[in-house]
Amino acid sequence: MDAVQISHVTRTFGSVTAVDDLSLTVPQGSIYGFIGPNGSGKTTTMRMIVNIFYPDRGEIRLFGDGRPENSTDLIGYLPEERGLYQRMTVQALLEFYGELRSGRGVKTEVARWLQRLDLAGRASDKVETLSRGMSQKVQFIATVIPEPKLLLLDEPFSGLDPVSAEAIRSAILDLRRHGVTVILSTHDMHLAETLCDYIFMIFRGRKVLDGTIGSIQDRYGEDTIRVTASGGFAAVQQLPGVDQIRDLGQVQELRLARSADPQEVLRALVAQARVTSFSLMKPSLHDIFMRIAGPAAEEANHANA
Amino acid sequence: MRMHKIRTIAKRDYIATVRTKAFVFGLVVAPMLFGGGSIAMTLFKGQPDLKDRRVAIVDHTGVVAGALVSAAREKNGRELFDKKTHQQIAPRYVFEVIAPAANSKDQLLALSGRVRRKQLVAFLEIGKDALRPPGPADDPTARVSYYTNAGGIDEMRNWLNGPINDGVRLARLAQLGIDIDRNKGLTASVPIDGLSLVERDEKTGEVHEARKRSELEGFFVPFAVAMILAMIVMVGSAPMLQNVTQDKSQRIVETLLGAATPFELMTGKVVGAVGVSVTSSVLYVLAGTLAVNALGIAGLLPLTIIPWFYVYLLADVVMLCAFAAALGACCSTPQDAQNLAIVLLMPCLIPMFMLVTVLRQPHGTLATVMSLVPPFTPILMLLRQAMPDGVPAWQPWVGLVDVLAFAAATVWAASRIFRVAILMQGKPPRLAEMVRWAMKG
Repeated sequence: MDAVQISHVTRTFGSVTAVDDLSLTVPQGSIYGFIGPNGSGKTTTMRMIVNIFYPDRGEIRLFGDGRPENSTDLIGYLPEERGLYQRMTVQALLEFYGELRSGRGVKTEVARWLQRLDLAGRASDKVETLSRGMSQKVQFIATVIPEPKLLLLDEPFSGLDPVSAEAIRSAILDLRRHGVTVILSTHDMHLAETLCDYIFMIFRGRKVLDGTIGSIQDRYGEDTIRVTASGGFAAVQQLPGVDQIRDLGQVQELRLARSADPQEVLRALVAQARVTSFSLMKPSLHDIFMRIAGPAAEEANHANA
Repeated sequence: MRMHKIRTIAKRDYIATVRTKAFVFGLVVAPMLFGGGSIAMTLFKGQPDLKDRRVAIVDHTGVVAGALVSAAREKNGRELFDKKTHQQIAPRYVFEVIAPAANSKDQLLALSGRVRRKQLVAFLEIGKDALRPPGPADDPTARVSYYTNAGGIDEMRNWLNGPINDGVRLARLAQLGIDIDRNKGLTASVPIDGLSLVERDEKTGEVHEARKRSELEGFFVPFAVAMILAMIVMVGSAPMLQNVTQDKSQRIVETLLGAATPFELMTGKVVGAVGVSVTSSVLYVLAGTLAVNALGIAGLLPLTIIPWFYVYLLADVVMLCAFAAALGACCSTPQDAQNLAIVLLMPCLIPMFMLVTVLRQPHGTLATVMSLVPPFTPILMLLRQAMPDGVPAWQPWVGLVDVLAFAAATVWAASRIFRVAILMQGKPPRLAEMVRWAMKG
């Protein structure tokens, strides 16, 4: 059974179409990554799944036939713009959110999660006394108590230090192991690649990518060379068959033209510099993102228009 | 609609509000502000302004001024000192009789100068025609002129009315040859006793005599009941605007909307506010009951209006809180909310401005119509119901149906505005936009 089924959904705000004829299926028990530039429609899509916004057209179904308005108790939603009642104690706040969603007491779950995210000692402190990272962990707990069937996390890692981020990542994976479906949006392409089973990219309200990271990369083929050579960026200038160069500092990433032969590129490079490493690979998610929504793509779009 | 969500939101908001210092402070301070006037009057009653009240009299009749001077002497002798403590408790009325001058204008100007220099509080000019009984074509107001620049309630002028007219009447009688000294009581006033109606006891059949009616019964009790209702409604509903704006500006709302629908969220908040109002009303009603018992005026309270008091209270709080929630949803900052606070209080302030008008003519067209206009019904209808002669039986019921229908419509429209506006940021919407959201959702 699919956790979420979005069929031809459109949502406009005045003259702006935030989501345009979107169809998407999120399998149950998967981690689905939503990526896209700011303002592309990720949050609007999430808000429609949570039933905060209603689609102008199209339909959203949760867990088979369930409509979002009947399924909010099954959903845990962590919005991008987070806020907590500052004057409440951590314990009272988490019990409030748990009771709000489930209609029952959640003391045991609160204690377990506070322990797990290293906040047990702060249970009786007011939220206003917590650091930003701690507040975000409290907000995460508020989202997962009681355990939802579908978890929507809008940029859950933004502003977190590496230790807290790792704790949240581990909790997400654990929830998935317990059958929870997770949809998360992120601007961290490396995180999306490593954490998500599926990637969905939305750009100007329209779906531009959808699938496993492997299937998305397959669509582009092995058209990327990662190279380390003496001379660095200067050494890879003027190589035949190279469309674009991305300078990563110690490493350069080259994108091959459609009919280019990687062997030709290697020969030309060896002729002018000492090559330490040379690997042919599929493009990274970051690279794919930039090809779709980066400045070069923008220029191409303008030229075509 | 899921009741547990409404209950959870209401419980949190209720606890968060009643635990604040602002609530406890408001509970104590609001009655002090409303009753501040009477408290101050009680406090300063024993400390009146004891400066002499000096008034000059230019008497063109030559006989009325003497009567005034005698009346003032009698008043001073009667009221100037406390009988037990012998301390002065009232200002002395001093009259200075001045002979009319040839140039009347110059004399009036000079006396006006003395009033301006605070040497006099006023001066009187008694016209020479004052003794002549007025004919149908005469202008009676021109007979006696009272010049002053005193503000507020002029006690001197109120007092003068009696002695001047007594003096004039006595002088007229003297002109007719009646011996005034032997007929001193001729102009004495007859006191009027205010009494309630005569009643028959339904059980015993006995006819009870009418009892003396107090001014409190006709004025103070209805006024106080209406003010207490207005106060509780304002204390209960005013924080809602800030509360919603705060939830919105602190980004709490979206998290809540992930677990409850906008309607559930708004209803929960409204129920929480109703709880706050009921709490404060129970405290005020208890305190009020103890106070009227202590003052010995418990019998003046029309107990039959207490159920109406609570029905109107609940309807008014629901109506105003829903309205406040919709307004709060349209605000992005506490500053926006502050600007709109006055709009929210209008349904309470307008009837409060009308209290005296309605008390004067409780069955007039204005009072009847305004008390049937839903936002004003709770305060104005209750005020009229609390008066000794009450209102026609149909009016409170029609008012109640109006109020309940209007409250339901307000909640419905407010929830639609709330749903659209609650996640919007930036400039507050225009009124036309809010109306469009209310109509179309």
